[in-house]
Amino acid sequence: MAEEVHLGLPGPWAADYREKADHYTTKIGGVPDWPTGDMGIKPEMLQCSLCGTKLCLVAQVYAPVVKLNIEERIIYVLVCPTPECGPKPQSWKVLRVQKCRNVEQTEGDGDELGQGTGPPSTSVPEEQIDKNKSHDINDDDFDLDALAEALEQAATLASNSKKKNKSKCANAPIERPVLKEKPADLSIPVLPCFYIYYDKEQYRVKVAVGSSSNEFPLDKEMTDTGNYEEEKWDGEKYEYDKAIGADRTFLKFKKRLDAYPEQCFRYSYGGKPLLAATKVQDAGTCRFCGSPRQYELQLMSPLLYFLHEAGKGSSNYGPSNWTWLTLIVYTCSKSCCPSSCGGRPCGCCWGVAEEEITIQEDEAV
Amino acid sequence: MAERGGERGGERGGDRGGFGRGFGRGGRGDRGGRRGGRRGQRQEEEKWVPVTKLGRLVQEKKFATIEEIYLHSLPVKEHQIVEALVPGLKDEVMKITPVQKQTRAGQRTRFKAFVVVGDGNGHVGLGVKCAKEVATAIRGAIILAKLSIVPVRRGYWGNKIGQPHTVPCKVTGKCGSVTVRMVPAPRGSGIVAARVPKKVLQFAGIEDVFTSSRGSTKTLGNFVKATFDCLMKTYGFLTPEFWRETKFSKTPYQEFTDLLAKPTKGLMLEAPIETVEA
Repeated sequence: MAEEVHLGLPGPWAADYREKADHYTTKIGGVPDWPTGDMGIKPEMLQCSLCGTKLCLVAQVYAPVVKLNIEERIIYVLVCPTPECGPKPQSWKVLRVQKCRNVEQTEGDGDELGQGTGPPSTSVPEEQIDKNKSHDINDDDFDLDALAEALEQAATLASNSKKKNKSKCANAPIERPVLKEKPADLSIPVLPCFYIYYDKEQYRVKVAVGSSSNEFPLDKEMTDTGNYEEEKWDGEKYEYDKAIGADRTFLKFKKRLDAYPEQCFRYSYGGKPLLAATKVQDAGTCRFCGSPRQYELQLMSPLLYFLHEAGKGSSNYGPSNWTWLTLIVYTCSKSCCPSSCGGRPCGCCWGVAEEEITIQEDEAV
Repeated sequence: MAERGGERGGERGGDRGGFGRGFGRGGRGDRGGRRGGRRGQRQEEEKWVPVTKLGRLVQEKKFATIEEIYLHSLPVKEHQIVEALVPGLKDEVMKITPVQKQTRAGQRTRFKAFVVVGDGNGHVGLGVKCAKEVATAIRGAIILAKLSIVPVRRGYWGNKIGQPHTVPCKVTGKCGSVTVRMVPAPRGSGIVAARVPKKVLQFAGIEDVFTSSRGSTKTLGNFVKATFDCLMKTYGFLTPEFWRETKFSKTPYQEFTDLLAKPTKGLMLEAPIETVEA
């Protein structure tokens, strides 16, 4: 049962919480980077279903699926920033944005495969090719190179100060961002922003280190301690872990969290989620194609901790009211194309689909 | 402090001194003294990232003692909470016993560790963990023991002079077939109990008590759990001091939520900037 789980570990903080990256960046908080300027998203998709406030971005995950040959696919997790709505599950939304595939490779955006010189590939799930886009840059580009340079410098500087940055540093906006000349929309609320770098989870179920042959001499010593021969400790059997406040599922959850205490999310397309409580809701079926939904990624509590720490001191701050342990995202198992282009080989339309998210709460609250 | 880690594995060759620490042990306990000096080598101790809401509040030092958590019966799910709130926590491994399971390929042996933690002043916890390796079992049992820390109520046998020294009333605890009964004792009696429950009572901070047990106390696992169950019940016994109606106060979650909702600084959310050109 060796599924690979990729962990999103925290990278450098963004210099400005509203800075734009591109849609290949994986980050937490900040402003959502839509692939094209005009996504055609219905406004109610970006509004809280309970109170109508504009949703703010919690996580943006670039998630290509190599098996299905889909490379342009991003998942956005949005939430209502008002403190009253935050704890309720209806105020969370997950959008899957995907470019619809065509049979023939259109040349309209053919440059997207152009490599060019770019930073070495980051260790992203399913080994995506690091794209250094040269397309979609309009003629009226302002000082993009300087901006990219400055951002790259800030990113590498911040990442060098971080401990244990084994894999290449964050998907910082090193690639030149898409310029669409849209003014920054300041009415969108924004959470503190930081970038994510990936690591594979190395969870050793069978610990071979410290071989058990060493155990025996010590064990003999333990049994002989104190010359208490009449104490036999008979009849012991295997016992499952039990604590007064935590059940077995949570203890296992905590154990895996303790192996990587800073994991912000876990990614495993089609894998099994790490549950914090045994009660799990049915994921349902995809709205577009009817195929069942499957687990893709889950957000973990350290993310909440980092956001909380960053926003300390400010009132009316959404994440201070959140009490979830983990948020599980289910997406369409076929990753169907949600746009309505009618199959025409256009190669440019992006589809937006809403997916399912379930919250596992800390039920003590 | 009592936290132990995997580096024990490397030291095991040299340290033949067993894992026991704490007071009252037959061997005068000086093996524990050496243990303290080694802890400075643990450099890779990572900062605690709290998982639960309670953990976040504890890390922000919103709680002074663990009693506030007991007052609201909040479940403690992270052992770091207990480490932060209860200073002076000591632990001791009471027993490591192999348990075996019959499989097609022979027998599979795992080790079961019993660990008791306590501060000797009214807080005690018991942890039991089975694992394939001794070190893992001990580490896991210490964590489980910390998660299971309970308050122990102490009272007087007769005159209420000095500090409470014995159980407040006769209490009895049961696990499996073993029942343990604790009876208040006058000062100076000491703990009158078998060796194994005596250790638990010492960690709890009880100075004098008479005990009586029944059932198959040979199953020491059940015996020690019955003692622990008995200690848990000391605060469950209704005595006239508790007849007064409880004044309910806000749970920490509500209290601190309101605190955060009060406008202390500017809003996090930015409103559209409207510049008025003169």
